[in-house]
Amino acid sequence: METKPLTAPSANAAAVRAGPLTNDAGSTMGPRVGASVVLLGTIITTLGISWDVQWHKMVGPDTFFTLPHLLLYSGSAIAGIASLVMVLMATSAQRAGHPMPRTVGGPPIRLLGGTFTAPFGYLMAGVGAALFLLYGLADLWWHSIYGFDAVLNSPSHIALFLSISITMLGSVAIFAAARDQRWGQLGIVLAIPILITFAPITTNAFANLSLPIDPTIVGIIFFSSLLLIMGAGILRRPGGAIAIAAALGILQAFLWWFSPWAAVTYAAAVGLPLRDGLAPQPPDLPSAIPMFLLVAAVVEALFWMIRTRGLNARKVMPLVGGVTGLIVADTLPLQQVLTDPTASFSAATVAVIGVAGILFGLLAGFLAARFITMLRALAPDPKEV
Amino acid sequence: MNTRIRPPRTRQYHRLAVAALVTAALSLAGAAPAMASAPVKVVHTERVQVGPYGVTVGFSVWPIRAMRSLDFTFLPDGGIVGKSGKLLLNGPGIKPDERVTPLVRHPRKLDSWGLDVKALNAPGAYSFGFAIDGPFGHGDGTLQGVTVLNQPGPPLGSSWTVGSLPFLGLVVVLVVAWRRIRPGRQPLAI
Repeated sequence: METKPLTAPSANAAAVRAGPLTNDAGSTMGPRVGASVVLLGTIITTLGISWDVQWHKMVGPDTFFTLPHLLLYSGSAIAGIASLVMVLMATSAQRAGHPMPRTVGGPPIRLLGGTFTAPFGYLMAGVGAALFLLYGLADLWWHSIYGFDAVLNSPSHIALFLSISITMLGSVAIFAAARDQRWGQLGIVLAIPILITFAPITTNAFANLSLPIDPTIVGIIFFSSLLLIMGAGILRRPGGAIAIAAALGILQAFLWWFSPWAAVTYAAAVGLPLRDGLAPQPPDLPSAIPMFLLVAAVVEALFWMIRTRGLNARKVMPLVGGVTGLIVADTLPLQQVLTDPTASFSAATVAVIGVAGILFGLLAGFLAARFITMLRALAPDPKEV
Repeated sequence: MNTRIRPPRTRQYHRLAVAALVTAALSLAGAAPAMASAPVKVVHTERVQVGPYGVTVGFSVWPIRAMRSLDFTFLPDGGIVGKSGKLLLNGPGIKPDERVTPLVRHPRKLDSWGLDVKALNAPGAYSFGFAIDGPFGHGDGTLQGVTVLNQPGPPLGSSWTVGSLPFLGLVVVLVVAWRRIRPGRQPLAI
């Protein structure tokens, strides 16, 4: 694989100015459709995983061909095929002598000695989808040895979740490259909440270890802080964090209603009863999404301070992350207790979660500052330099 | 001289893109979901006396191996109607929140209590205790010494290594991009 160098925004600004920037509606139709279909795939995957988790909790019986599984698989398939189509279009455009601008998925990566030209974001989303297919086969092998256990923390399941996360990250990269256009900004506002919802599932890999804190809680704190700050930083406009938090809230509310409804309706349709002795708990996946409009307001305030006081954003970002992580960590147990009558947290656990919130928040802030720069470098916007 | 007119390469890629879309649409349309879960097939049983109630404990896999999920059925003589109780699990792979749970119907064998596709994650000796209330009053009893053998398949470390490859690949991509862009040295405006 041969790659064209990813370089800093300033170094590429002139080249981008000289390139065929295509801002008219007609010429952005293809990129908009491609990015939207990848996003649609990740949304379908998110619906599928939430429904599947709820199905196993409330009903149980499993086969390969269930509707939630179909959503899971087709979500990755749709995102993967859309990525493949965009790679083929980019290759076609390159060969015709009209290479796509970097705003379409990021810098072109030359594959197989230049046979294919793949915009970085689509390459990432497509590789994630291809890995999903590959690890789907590995998962079948795993189940043939260990049975059809409905656990999240098997190696093959974690690999599948990682693959899906890579596709979702590709989706974020695609929209980050088009952030100078309205549809690109809207895409960020939608793609970041999808990743905030999904990424913590991968931390189930550590569920079998004896740790002082539930790794999923750490995952929720870390990924939500990192992605919220990163998304707001990419958008680079007042209200960005609030918009992301609002989109996350809408997704959470929808999944809260949809997941149990779909499980119950599907069970009735196929003639299966609900499990006996179900506890009056909220749906698993949406109840683990932090309700963080308050957090977003704090991020907005901190960003406003950085802008108005001319602070060095890169140096202050870890602090922003630490504050964000602490608030997420402090409000998460409260959210759990308020929404789940069976949940309880000791003072010691809340204290440990708070400390984890600060530490992982600092790391999230540090990384968010770097990732913002890296994602902006995918397609430097002349207006930003 | 070859007089065949070859289509431009760009048209080939467009055709490939259309073919990919059509294949995707057909494959999704053809994947009609079904919901025919397999019935529970008991291959081994044990008996345990729980006070006045005789209980047959059924296993869908025997012998049991660590991490290998299977179905357990708990069927009191005369059926489960009019009876209720608790299951008390003990053994090296049982987590604290799994030790005491209500006896509930097996979702794929509704005339029996049970556990569906449950794996015991560590080898060793396990016990299945029962506390049952029914028409003959309360009864307690335990099936002791259910042996769980070592896990099947390759060592868990190698499975986790293969499973973490996507993460390692992602880290490699991030490190390469980080080294090229040097984000820590770039000005950041938000």
